[in-house]
This record gives sequence, structure tokens and C-alpha cells, in this order.
Amino acid sequence: MPLDSDSPLRPALKRPVLRTLRIGCMPLTDAAPLLVAEELGLFDSVGLRVTLSLEASWAAIRDKLAFGALDAAHLLAPLPLALAAGLDGVQAKLTVAAGIGANGNTITLSRALAQALGRFAPPLAAGAFARLVRQRAAAGEKALILAVAFPYSSDHYLLRHWLAAGGLDPDRDLRLVTVPPPMMAQRLQDGLIDGFCAGEPWGSQAAALGLGTIALSSGDIWPNHPEKVLAFDAGYAAQDPESAIACTAALIAAARWLEEPANQAAAVRILQRRAFPGFAAPTIAAAFDGTAQGLPQAAPLRFRTATLPRREQAAWFLRQMRRWGHVPAELANSAALAPWRPDIWRAAATRLREVEPPIASRPPADLPGTA
Amino acid sequence: MPRQGSMPAVPWHDPCLGQAMSDMERRTTTLRVLLVDSDGERAAAVTQGLAMAGCTVVAVSAGIDDLVQRVRDTGAEVIVCRLDDPSRDELEGMRALHRDEPRPVVLFTEKAVPEQIEAALEAGVAAYVVEGMAPARVRPVMEVAIRRFRAHRKLQQELAAARNDLAERKLVDRAKALLMRRDRLSEPEAYRRLRRMAMDGRKRLGVVAASLLQENRAS
Repeated sequence: MPLDSDSPLRPALKRPVLRTLRIGCMPLTDAAPLLVAEELGLFDSVGLRVTLSLEASWAAIRDKLAFGALDAAHLLAPLPLALAAGLDGVQAKLTVAAGIGANGNTITLSRALAQALGRFAPPLAAGAFARLVRQRAAAGEKALILAVAFPYSSDHYLLRHWLAAGGLDPDRDLRLVTVPPPMMAQRLQDGLIDGFCAGEPWGSQAAALGLGTIALSSGDIWPNHPEKVLAFDAGYAAQDPESAIACTAALIAAARWLEEPANQAAAVRILQRRAFPGFAAPTIAAAFDGTAQGLPQAAPLRFRTATLPRREQAAWFLRQMRRWGHVPAELANSAALAPWRPDIWRAAATRLREVEPPIASRPPADLPGTA
Repeated sequence: MPRQGSMPAVPWHDPCLGQAMSDMERRTTTLRVLLVDSDGERAAAVTQGLAMAGCTVVAVSAGIDDLVQRVRDTGAEVIVCRLDDPSRDELEGMRALHRDEPRPVVLFTEKAVPEQIEAALEAGVAAYVVEGMAPARVRPVMEVAIRRFRAHRKLQQELAAARNDLAERKLVDRAKALLMRRDRLSEPEAYRRLRRMAMDGRKRLGVVAASLLQENRAS
């Protein structure tokens, strides 16, 4: 598994004390850059000592980061906005040094719901889904329940946007609930939810178990949308900027490695061993192949082009949070978006001679009602 | 009462202290707890630990789809959940998506966690019980959590009420302006007209103002 030989990782320069950097991540395919960086020794090669922990819930990652039990984390892109606003009683200053992954979520529906929709080719049109919801309401059937991984997640805001684009009110016409991705398939089976939007490999796993049908991918809603970020506790990044830059460099190197088709099989093995024991390799590989249930995705999971954290892209999530009344009106854009620090990414990228990725596609147009 | 040796380790488990509390005391002061735990075996151990600390576990819930109903049925005063339990995100979702805040949530950890996590107490909504905490401290933490939760909710309600008042006043002002313009009334006349409409219809002033504005827009 050779690294790019023309751009070796330079060891970090001076650092006060070599203490262990504690990073948390969730068992999702887009945690791959962190898992790979550890497996390939990329953290070692930038002179970092890292412990990478797989966490059980986003709430636990958030709290550990906010209260000092973690130094950095694989985080949902809208979560630093929620923490800047102090939503749900938890406030924290974070430093977003890199983006982790673009695209990569699927909207997976129960077999029964997919059958009720009749034959469709993914991506399922929002209008077709909305028609079914209205028919059910007219027939007096109970509202559909769709699950997302966490309130402040791209899955949630992209799903809401898709539903609203179909003319539905996600707060009135359906019931949205939160379920951790590893429990989604079980909840589908138990009939407690009718569908979910979550990161891979959980949609492909539900499909492989015969419990769900993938109706569309998040990249169908906003092609190449930012998905996760690498966020540091702001105090840590301010105190030890060298470590933050070095860690970002290791992440960029891992993203490059992941994008090489020749490394894909090895990446799948790493994920299987570290995060998804018991999963068939093809289930994990689907996201890397850019397929969902065997069909090619228009905007599949990408790593290398997503590492630059873009404030203007995060602003789309903030607008959605405002639109749905999830953040107080008095929260200033500048304060909410302050954690995004492309300068740290640039410092790391320079060391690797990584060129700035082209501007990703524009976010979908705001729907009526967005401030 | 089970002996300590027969139980898995529970952070605040201390049978002596539990026994020190008379049955009478426990009946009158016991806290009703809803435990959310996705692991049945551990839930049993935690239930016993909580009993030692003067709490009664009135329900154990793994999937929390019916949590609001459960709280209502059992009269639980506080929800207890492990920091690393996968159900945490469902609890969060309920709060954020549905504004359902049935009860304060107290989290506990089995692994050592830095002291800062106790700062979560300051957050007002959740509280942490940290590993190794003596049973004598479990109750106070829960009581603090409940107090803060109530204070927090009161504040939220006051804020919402203030926002409503402001919104209502704005509506009334706009409806007044409409009447002044349309029916060439003076400001006091317009206000009196609105008030009469509200009294006749037995509706709030704001509601009357809103429907007046809507009718005007429709016509």
C-alpha cells in the first residue's frame, strides 16, 4: 500500500509535548479516512500519537468533544453549527480543519412502502413520494415514520429538503424520528419505521438483508454535498496548531489513498475488520464502487475532493436550520460559521502539495420559506 | 436484598448504604426513574444500583418509540441512560425534532471520564453521574438535574410567551392600521372595533387581528 512517493508526508515540526490525540468516530463508511490513516500509519508518519475510538452515538461524540473527553472527532457537518448555537444545552467552540467525504447517504424504504410506490427507477422523484403520502392521508392511514441518524445531520436536512421539494411539510405530513444507523435495519424489520436516510453501509446492509429498497442517494438531492468534517476542540487546536495541521495532513493523505482504485479492496478489508464485522465485503464495497443496490449513483461517495472545508457550503445547512426553526433567529451567521478554518487545511495541503479541489457543485436552490 | 458479590459492578452500588435507609424513608422519598438501556443484563444491574441509591425504576425501555407514553403511564420523574448507549441519539431526536422534553435526562458512564464532563451539569438539560460516585451522591445529582430541568423549561416557556405577546401585538398593530386605512377610523376607534369583535366572538385579540388581516388578503 504505497503512499504517493512524490509527496512524502513530512513529520510535524515542533510541538510542545507529544501527547496522545484522542479522536472519536462513528461506524460509517465515511469514517474510512480516519480508520485508514491509523491502519496505514499515516498518523505516525506525521509524528502524531493517536487513539481512534468507535463511538456508539452522535450525542456521545458531541458530549465527549464538548466536555473534554475527546480532542477531535468525525462529525456531522451541521453539528458544529448546533454546538456554536448551544442547541439542546450543549455549547462548544470547535475548529473544523477538514471535510470528510461528500455524498454517501441513502434513503432506504421498507419493502412494503417501496411496493406501495409501484415500480420506480432510482432516484425516486419527491413528487411521487408526496403523492403516496397524500393518498395515505386521504385514506385515513397513519402517517409514515422516517428515521434520520441525528437531528443536526446532513441526512436530516437533505431529507427535509427533498420532502419539502415534493410539497410535503416534514413536521406535519410525516413523523421524523432519530435512530442510530446500526439500529435502522432492525427497526425496519420490526415495522417501527417505514424508511430511513443514513450513511453507508447501513442502507446497503438493509437492502442485502432484504429489509429495504434504496430509493435514492443524498447526492441525488445535492450532488457532492459536504457530509462529515474533522472537528477539533477549539482549545486544543489553538494550543497545539501544529498537531491540528499534522492530523489534517494525515487525513488528506488517507483520502488520496482511498481514491486510488487499486486500494479499494484493502480499504474494504480495513473497514470490515475495524467497523463492520459480519458484513459481506460487497455490502461495504458498494459505496466505494458508487453503486446502490447494483445501480450506479449519479453522485457517489468521494473523499479527496471533499477535504477542503468550505464555509459557504456549511452556510446551506445553516439556512436550512433557520428555515425549520432549529436555531434561534438571533444567532449570527458569522458566529455559527466561525469554526470553519480552511486556512488549517491549506497549511496541511501545502505540505502534501495537494492542490485545492475545484469548487463543488452549488447547493440546491432554497425553497420558499427559507430566510 | 442481593449481596454485592452476586451483582455486576455498578458505579454507585453500595449495599450498606442502601440498607441504612429505612423502608419507610424509601417509600416516602423514592425517585421514580425510567431507565433507557439497550442491554437487558446491564439494565438489571443498574436497576439494583439505583434502588440502593433510593430510586425506584418504574420502567426499563430499550426502543424508545413510546417514551412519551411510557413516562405518562409510569409517572417517572427522571430518565436515566448510559452515556454510551446507542439509544442516546433517539433521546436527542425526540427533544430536537418534536420538542418533547418529557423529563430530565441523567447520563452515567462506566468508564472513567475527565472531570470536565461534570460541567455538563451546567448545561441545564442533562446531568452526568460519573464513575465511582458514591450512592449518597446519586440522588443529589438527580435532584439537581430535575431542578435545573424545571428552571430551564420555565425559562423556555417564559421566552415562548414573550415571543407570542410580541407577535400578537404586531398583529394587532397591523390590523389597527388596516381598519384605519380601510374604514377611515382613528387609532382609538380602530382599537375599540377590534376589541368589540374579540368580545363578540369570544376570541383573543390576536386571533381576531390575524383573521381580519387574512380576510383582507383574500379579498
